Amino acid sequence: MRRFFILLGFWAILRPAQATIDDAITSALFALDQYTKQGYIVRDDQWGGDLGLREQKAIPHTLFRGNDYWFCMATDLENARVAIHLYDSRGKLAESDSWQSGRFAAARILPLATGTFYIIVEVTASPKERTTWAMVYGYK
Amino acid sequence: MIRNLGKTVFAATYFLLAIPGPGEAPPNHIDLSKFPATQLDDIVVPLPSEVFNVLDKLGTPNWQEQLREPVVRTRGEREQIALLLGSVIAEGFVAVEAADKARVKQIGRDVLELARAIGVESTVLTRTNSIVTKADAGDWIGVRRELDGALTDVKNAMIKLKDAQLAHLVSLGGWLRGTEVLTAVVQKSYSSDGADLLNQPDLLRYFQERLAGMPPRMRNKPLVNRMQKGLDEISPLINQRVTPDSVRRINVITGQMVRAINSRA
Repeated sequence: MRRFFILLGFWAILRPAQATIDDAITSALFALDQYTKQGYIVRDDQWGGDLGLREQKAIPHTLFRGNDYWFCMATDLENARVAIHLYDSRGKLAESDSWQSGRFAAARILPLATGTFYIIVEVTASPKERTTWAMVYGYK
Repeated sequence: MIRNLGKTVFAATYFLLAIPGPGEAPPNHIDLSKFPATQLDDIVVPLPSEVFNVLDKLGTPNWQEQLREPVVRTRGEREQIALLLGSVIAEGFVAVEAADKARVKQIGRDVLELARAIGVESTVLTRTNSIVTKADAGDWIGVRRELDGALTDVKNAMIKLKDAQLAHLVSLGGWLRGTEVLTAVVQKSYSSDGADLLNQPDLLRYFQERLAGMPPRMRNKPLVNRMQKGLDEISPLINQRVTPDSVRRINVITGQMVRAINSRA
């Protein structure tokens, strides 16, 4: 884990300053990479867009009991901070773990029942009016 | 050199400052009904492998018994081909579970033929070649990934071609065949864990809304109409506690719908 965050530090410095959705996707995949090494299967699809400061987006998703999911979010905008959290269909916080590190964030869920869950993504700090973000996930 | 030193110092500083942590504590409860509609995305349609991944953990059903030989028609209405493409990809997952190399390879070729028929052949060519190669090598996890990838690539290519409606039909075809198989497996040895996998009312509603929102020229086609009626029949069964009897009913309805996709030319 420590090695991952050192790499994350270097990654952040080496990325170009101008943020694009492709860069955000690459960053989100980078954050997910540590879980791939733990046997999580990466879904070859991405979600993303741009958000204003403190603006949230909800992505509903059917998750299955028996699977273990990690959702990773990132932006490529330096000095921005993002957050991602998981709620069940009644609006109750349902994640079993989460972390936040600069412009990377992730949340894990082991659903107690199959059903619709809401992935809430948010930009919590940013030097710009709109911040490009991307989300990817893996499961095992 | 000064620049490199600067980067190194900055990296170290970044790492020290960006110690991973839980971040701001999220609220324990949010009111989803007050979430602005503009900030609410469409529901994410899960990949077949997300369901099969759970089925793997529930036991070892006789997958060979679940395998079907879909009639692959590459001529006909695009709506039918799209539905068929989705159901054939889902069939690929059953063939993987059954570890049936010959069937998996045939499905790889069928996917290519169907993708060609709706103009997205180039999108899946690499995937289908890889399905055949990985099936030969017995790399079943790799085949699953390629099947998932083929489904995603086909849908994305259709959306790029402004054919999002057809992309929904590909997803629906896959969901129907996947649900038919899931209910057949759960029916054989009913367990609440297995039945819980059918708790997908929002996903079903999503498909119903996508069909209802299609332009009349598509929506009024007999096969699309048949799909809509079938989903309407399944809806009350999924919107309540899933019992052994509702599992059996869903299996019958999805089976009829998959046969309609296969048989109607």
